[in-house]
Amino acid sequence: MKLHVHLSPDWILDDDMREYSPSEPVDFCIVGSGAGGGVLAQRLARFGFSVVVLEAGPWHDTEEDMVSDEAGSGALFWNDLRIIGGSNPLELGANNSGRGVGGSTIHYAGFCPRLHPSDFRVRTRDGVAADWPIDYDDLEPYYEAMEREYPVSGPARYPWGKPHGYPYAPLQAGSAGQKLIEGCVNLGIPVVAGGAVAIPAGAVGKRPHCIQRGFCLLGCKVGAKSSIMVSHIPDAVAHGAEIRTGCMAFDVPLDEHGLVRGVRYHRTLRNGTHVEEEQGARAVVVAGYAIESPRILLNSTSPQFPDGLANSSGKVGKYLMAQAGPVVWGRFDEMIRQYKSPPACATTEEFYETDPHNDFVRGYALQTVAPLPIAMSHLLISEGYSGEGLLRQMQEYNHYACLGVLGEILPNEENMVTLHPTDKDEYGQPVPYVRFNLFENDKRMMAAGIERAKQVLEAAGARETHAVNRYAHLVGTCRMGADPSESVVDQWCRSWDVPNLFVCDGSVLPTQGSSNPAITISALAARTADWIRREAPNGTLARRPRSEVHA
Amino acid sequence: MIHNRYPKANVLRQRDHWDDATRRVVLDRVHNVPEFKHFDPAARATLEALCDLIIPQTHRPPDKRVPLAPWIDDLCQQHVEAFRFDDMPPNDVAWDWGLEGVEQTAHALFDQSFTRLAVERRQEVLDVIHDGRAPGDVWQRMPAARWWEFVAVRQVAGVYYAHPYAWDEIGFGGPAYPRGYLSLNHGDREPWESEEVR
Repeated sequence: MKLHVHLSPDWILDDDMREYSPSEPVDFCIVGSGAGGGVLAQRLARFGFSVVVLEAGPWHDTEEDMVSDEAGSGALFWNDLRIIGGSNPLELGANNSGRGVGGSTIHYAGFCPRLHPSDFRVRTRDGVAADWPIDYDDLEPYYEAMEREYPVSGPARYPWGKPHGYPYAPLQAGSAGQKLIEGCVNLGIPVVAGGAVAIPAGAVGKRPHCIQRGFCLLGCKVGAKSSIMVSHIPDAVAHGAEIRTGCMAFDVPLDEHGLVRGVRYHRTLRNGTHVEEEQGARAVVVAGYAIESPRILLNSTSPQFPDGLANSSGKVGKYLMAQAGPVVWGRFDEMIRQYKSPPACATTEEFYETDPHNDFVRGYALQTVAPLPIAMSHLLISEGYSGEGLLRQMQEYNHYACLGVLGEILPNEENMVTLHPTDKDEYGQPVPYVRFNLFENDKRMMAAGIERAKQVLEAAGARETHAVNRYAHLVGTCRMGADPSESVVDQWCRSWDVPNLFVCDGSVLPTQGSSNPAITISALAARTADWIRREAPNGTLARRPRSEVHA
Repeated sequence: MIHNRYPKANVLRQRDHWDDATRRVVLDRVHNVPEFKHFDPAARATLEALCDLIIPQTHRPPDKRVPLAPWIDDLCQQHVEAFRFDDMPPNDVAWDWGLEGVEQTAHALFDQSFTRLAVERRQEVLDVIHDGRAPGDVWQRMPAARWWEFVAVRQVAGVYYAHPYAWDEIGFGGPAYPRGYLSLNHGDREPWESEEVR
């Protein structure tokens, strides 16, 4: 199939993409083309495996489908119905879920910090949450690889976690970012311009550099901001992977040996109707992010797995985490015009680690955010404004500098994704039911983060400050672990129950730190790909994995 | 009364500097206001009165007011809903119920239709809805405060701040592809952006 997709103004992906017949089993069928699935597809295709990626959404052509307009960008987001509940229901769509080739990396801000070494040992160090089955050192070479492949820009020396440098220089921070820097410097808080951001200060291949247009959260028309669509998908296609768009997966069936045999999905045709198909595969990777991945598994029931595929632990859908993302903003006498420059342009991780002086464990980062007008009005509405009061506050738009507290919410079994008992989607499948609650540690951490952000803004000269709770990122519903009774996948993202089934996206994270998850998801995918390359020839994908826990 | 801080702002005048796809989307919004299809005339009157309070536009000349109610009607026909609270009905139903609830509350408090009340009394009706203590059957089956924030105010404000006239009011520069933004420091304006007059 001849493609024709703009990835930047002068770069058209026009490969003759390989196409497989659904009845022809491929080595790997991957559900989802985001930070996990996209990188895994690129790796596996390069290694010579046959790969089909099922993507629910479309290609987003940078010239045709991306616009510099908040209200006109809805198609970038996952807008299928989800029911939300719990004491702190999570708003979905928009910032926390993408739909289309590249997944959420199409519309993320681009912050790509690594996890800290401490993140992998939260249970051991703090007595809460969970340890990972791997250490920072296991992931470090993959972080380094991804930072070059995305690529990621940042300071020559990033002082937090395990200190490291970035291969590309950061852009200059916009005016709002300069306020974060000024406030931190005045308080003696270490801070960096840029941070770890997937927007380098220079052209990369056929991707021109940033033009400071400020619409990063609605897709980068320039191709300057890295997304999996521009960083890895072209290479995947060049190496023979098929990216099959408009395909909504709903079931992963088993064969008579208890192995998965492929993926069932609804494919939308050009005339808008849809047909049901099944792509045969020797192994399946579910990479649909922290709501759709558990949804597919829970929906894939069989006599062997009456409670959902790969769910003998009962943990599929459990331990959903969002990151706390309170937005804190200050009003300054001078003009800021925060809509110019990428929203991601400065950060501090000085409050990331557990501090015995706090009344909570773990911590938060402070980053820049720069809401466009509709998003800004929604923040003010959450504060209670409407009518003339709202209009007056919005007239201060150009005097606001907004910071985001990005805080670590701890995993809790009560935060979960299940199948809704009555509501169905357009294909007749149950919609996800997403319940989320804040617990004491989360609330204390968020209060402290908001307080700190206000101090920083005041130290930069803010006349008044505001704060509204928000959340970002979704991880944790198919957690990896060392114990099959407590986790869904092993350290290679492979199901404990079904040897040729993988989950490779944010849902495998046992904890999340205060780092935006994209680069960690991609690093895990690259690590899984290396393991598959090593182990597949030995027949390992036909055998059940062995627990690393010895009684 | 809202004072116009950016008297020379006119984002639409920059349209020739935008890319085709963006220009199409923004101009379509400005020029092709949808017809009412979802709401009957009575509900429409309540909706229009509600919009006038959520986003008052009396400070604008009549030809520079942003149509709000037609776009809410349009939203109710689209059935696009990324999330729904487990204590809320679908969005179009929430609008139907909510407008009915506004009338119920108006009748309970003042024994009159919301549309016939003086502005101060309308505001009292909306205040009790905002606070989640509004009288009316509807509010027994749908939480009033939730409806107020997530359905009424966010959606109406979302329509308003999607419009170039509202961008001019707050000094937002609007689309900037392919030319980009060039004046990045000290909140400086681009040569084509308006100065703020306080």
